[in-house]
Amino acid sequence: MTEKERLRFRKGDGVAIGAVILAAATLLIFFLLDARQTEGPLVLRIYVDGALIREMPLDQDDTFRIDGAYRNQVQVQDGKAAITESTCPGEDCVHSGWISQPGRSVVCLPNRVEIRVEGRPGGEEVDAVIR
Amino acid sequence: MKTKQVTAMALLTALALVLSRLERMIPLELVIPLPGVKLGLANTVTLFALYRLNLPAAMMILAARCLIGALFSGNMTALAFSLTGGGFAMLVMWAARKCRHLSVWGVSVLGAAGHNVGQILIAAMLMHSPYVMGYLPYLLLIGTVCGCATAAVAAGVLRSVRAV
Repeated sequence: MTEKERLRFRKGDGVAIGAVILAAATLLIFFLLDARQTEGPLVLRIYVDGALIREMPLDQDDTFRIDGAYRNQVQVQDGKAAITESTCPGEDCVHSGWISQPGRSVVCLPNRVEIRVEGRPGGEEVDAVIR
Repeated sequence: MKTKQVTAMALLTALALVLSRLERMIPLELVIPLPGVKLGLANTVTLFALYRLNLPAAMMILAARCLIGALFSGNMTALAFSLTGGGFAMLVMWAARKCRHLSVWGVSVLGAAGHNVGQILIAAMLMHSPYVMGYLPYLLLIGTVCGCATAAVAAGVLRSVRAV
C-alpha cells in the first residue's frame, strides 16, 4: 500500500450514509402516498409469477392453499391476511406476519407468490343494500 | 497467479462460506420480518479482498462462495439472489473505494445499498412484479445499519492484517 488507507470515519461517509437514508425516505413516502389512493372495500389479491390467481375480500374469513413448487397456506381473518403455513425453505413469508393496510404485501420468493392488500375499484359497486 | 494468492483466495472463500452459514443462525428475520434481511458478514470478505487483493480475485471469491453456498443449501433461487446482490455490492464498493472522500465505512454502507438494489431488481424480475420494490426503502434503512456493522469488522481486520 503506497497511499495511506482510509479506515477511519470521514465526513464523506456521513454524506454517503445521509444520501442512502434520504433515498430510502423518499421511496418510502412515495410508496405510502401511492398506497393511500385506494377506495372501497379492501381485497387480498394473490399473485403467482406476477399473474393474479385469486381475490379474497378482506372482510370475509377464508383460507386458500397455493400449490406450486412449495405449498403456501393463505389465511384471511378479522380484516387481515397472512401466509400462515409454508413448505418453503426459510419460511420468511410466514415470519412476515399479518397485513391489513392497502399496498402492504407478503412475498414467498421460493414459490414466486405475492399476496397484496389492495382497494377494490369502487365505481360500479353498490355501497349498501337496504331491505 | 501466484500460489500465495490462490491460497489466500481459497481461505477467504472458505471464510465467507462459514460466515454466511454462521449468520443464518442469527434469527434476524424474527426481529425484522422482511425477506432477505441479513447482517452481510460475508460481505466483509469481499471488502477485504478488494482492499488487500484485487477486483478479479474478489470476483472469483464471490462466485465460488455463491456457487458452493447454493450447493450446500440446494436452493437455486438463492443462487440468483446471492450472485446479483453480491455482484452489485462488489461493483459499488470497488467504485466507491476510488472516491477520496470515503473511508471503509462509506464504502461498506454503499455496498450494502448496492446489495439491496441488486436483490430487489432480481426479485422484481423473478416475481414479474414491480411491487416488491416496496420493500426497498426498509431494506435500505436496515442495510445502512448492517453496513456500518460490517465496516467496523472490516476496519478492524484491515488494521491488523496489513498484507496477504
